[in-house]
Amino acid sequence: MSKPTVGIFGLTGCAGDQLTILNCEDRLLDLVALIDIRDFSMASSLNNEECPLDVALVEGAVLTSHDAEYLKAIRKRSKTLVAIGTCAVWGGVAAMDRGADRGKLLEEVYGEAGRGYDSVPAQALHEVVPVDLNISGCPIEKEQFLAAIAALLNGDPPIYPEYPVCTECRMRENNCLLIERGELCCGPVTVAGCNARCPDLRVPCVGCRGPVNDANAASLAAVFAEKGFDRAQVAARLRTFAPEEVTA
Amino acid sequence: MSTIVVEPLARVEGHGGITVELEGDTLKSVRFDVLEGARLLETLVRGKRYDEVAPILSRICSICSAAHTLTSLKATENAFGIRVSPQTELLRELLFRGESIESHALHLFLLAAPDYLNYPSAIALATDKPAAVTLGLRLKKLGNQIQETIGGRAVHPVNAIPGGFGRVPAFDQLIALRSSLMQGASDTDAMIDLIASLPAADFCHSDTLFAALRSPHLDSYYSGDEVMLLSDGSRAIVPAAEYRTFTAETSVPHSHAKHSTFRGTPFMVGALARLTVNPRRLTGRLAVAMKRLKLVLPADNPMDNNKAQALELQNDVDRALEIIEQLLREGVKDERPIPVQPRAGTGTAITEAPRGLLVHSYTYDDEGRVLAADVITPTAMNAASMELHFRRTVEQCAERDDATISRRLQMVARAYDPCISCSVHLVRKA
Repeated sequence: MSKPTVGIFGLTGCAGDQLTILNCEDRLLDLVALIDIRDFSMASSLNNEECPLDVALVEGAVLTSHDAEYLKAIRKRSKTLVAIGTCAVWGGVAAMDRGADRGKLLEEVYGEAGRGYDSVPAQALHEVVPVDLNISGCPIEKEQFLAAIAALLNGDPPIYPEYPVCTECRMRENNCLLIERGELCCGPVTVAGCNARCPDLRVPCVGCRGPVNDANAASLAAVFAEKGFDRAQVAARLRTFAPEEVTA
Repeated sequence: MSTIVVEPLARVEGHGGITVELEGDTLKSVRFDVLEGARLLETLVRGKRYDEVAPILSRICSICSAAHTLTSLKATENAFGIRVSPQTELLRELLFRGESIESHALHLFLLAAPDYLNYPSAIALATDKPAAVTLGLRLKKLGNQIQETIGGRAVHPVNAIPGGFGRVPAFDQLIALRSSLMQGASDTDAMIDLIASLPAADFCHSDTLFAALRSPHLDSYYSGDEVMLLSDGSRAIVPAAEYRTFTAETSVPHSHAKHSTFRGTPFMVGALARLTVNPRRLTGRLAVAMKRLKLVLPADNPMDNNKAQALELQNDVDRALEIIEQLLREGVKDERPIPVQPRAGTGTAITEAPRGLLVHSYTYDDEGRVLAADVITPTAMNAASMELHFRRTVEQCAERDDATISRRLQMVARAYDPCISCSVHLVRKA
């Protein structure tokens, strides 16, 4: 059987998910032996920008009309489109205040010329094209990525945790930052898969992986209120990486 | 009129391009195009509390995320008058070294080397020269191991927080790092041999103004409060708080982008600038390696930034090993971060990110919420100098065929190791 053709793309973002793929140092040469990478401009200067692809891995959010057109072209040539990273899945940090007056902010940062820039409020990929698979994380976790690729190669559906970071944190027997130390930890509402990376280091979760589906919002609101956090402050922090209207 | 367009500029971080306009044999204009979308993160942190700032602004760029995090923390701590412990300073310096090792190995082996050897990518190179690529990947992994151990993650570190670290590294983690670094020290010898064996890239000569942090110690990416600008015959020193003196934006006639210049002259930041400004560090093993690389300072060839990165990669591994030995000798205390007492005011920090000078400057209100944030990145500072060197490359190219010009321009661009996600925070194409 011929190797599946793959493209790896970045829209607007920090390139952290493509970097995480390159950070699979021990597995990188094995990985590229199993797939046929046709288009990956961060790592190669010889790319086929038009060929059909079995799998497209796309990171970053849509922040320009060029991003949107590029994404649509990728969708058109790809059988399976995978959103990699929180920006692609949820919009990410650039989406935290989509209601703001963009022209005004552009002018503030870039001067009068800024008003003419190609710039739209950040959108997650699924808001622009249909997405077949989401791998969140800021950046994605290496092992989760490799497992997803292995599953795709074998034709299996990848399996992801559907519980919060809290569950992983408790399995690691950490003291609770929220309950015991009164810190604003987003672990209860953030989807697991990082093995509670931050709270395990005594650092509160900032929610970089995006929200978990079955979070019990009402009871959490009560806990946050009891700890003396102002509602608006909690809401803003929970939405740093994933705006409410994308998650709803 | 003919136009040469390189787009997308491959094997760099982010989205950019180069446009050259020629009229007959005469060069009309040269442009470094930044095609990245504007995320406006400096405006999005306004109103955020001090502990939210570094995790948001590290997202400016993944490859430089430790530098962004640590520079952000230093700016915040400067605003609040916090002095971190010597142990925290040492661990942060180690984290900086880890990032630099990863970034330089990534750049030298995966992005730059394929040009010299006529391959489109390191993946293609690995078919014929697997040992060279696995050497690069091993060094890259070493940098990431340091970042994971000290920063808690290879990309967007989570363990470095205002006042110190969430959790300091355990003894056995340091022992594991020491063992990897010893392997790394011998790998860097092989790396210097490999870089020294690459064909010469001798097609762009130019007087260059270099700018780098003047380090009070023998060398540091993290401590220092003055920037030195140095060219043949002249030098200037600028204190951190006056960073606007050399990052003042100037409109340039050939594009809508704004460029950093110092008194009207473009300047180059990064590895080559650091070695030029702080030559005291070039002793011992490093001096031997410098001879093998045939690097002479001050250099007039921007391609020498690749050799400078190779020297730094060796030095970073040696320096990281020294830090580990010191930590093992003195023992790591389970310090908690210094408690933060917010106060109104402005704090500025300048450090050396892998690609050069990085500035974060914040103004806070008395509750520790951001009123204003300013971030100036190395690639933004380098943009004017890159265009100058693109211009020299085209002028000095005796063969007037587009393919040769395009190939050389791409090599010069990659020698700067541009990080275009970062650059968008100052320079943009209209």
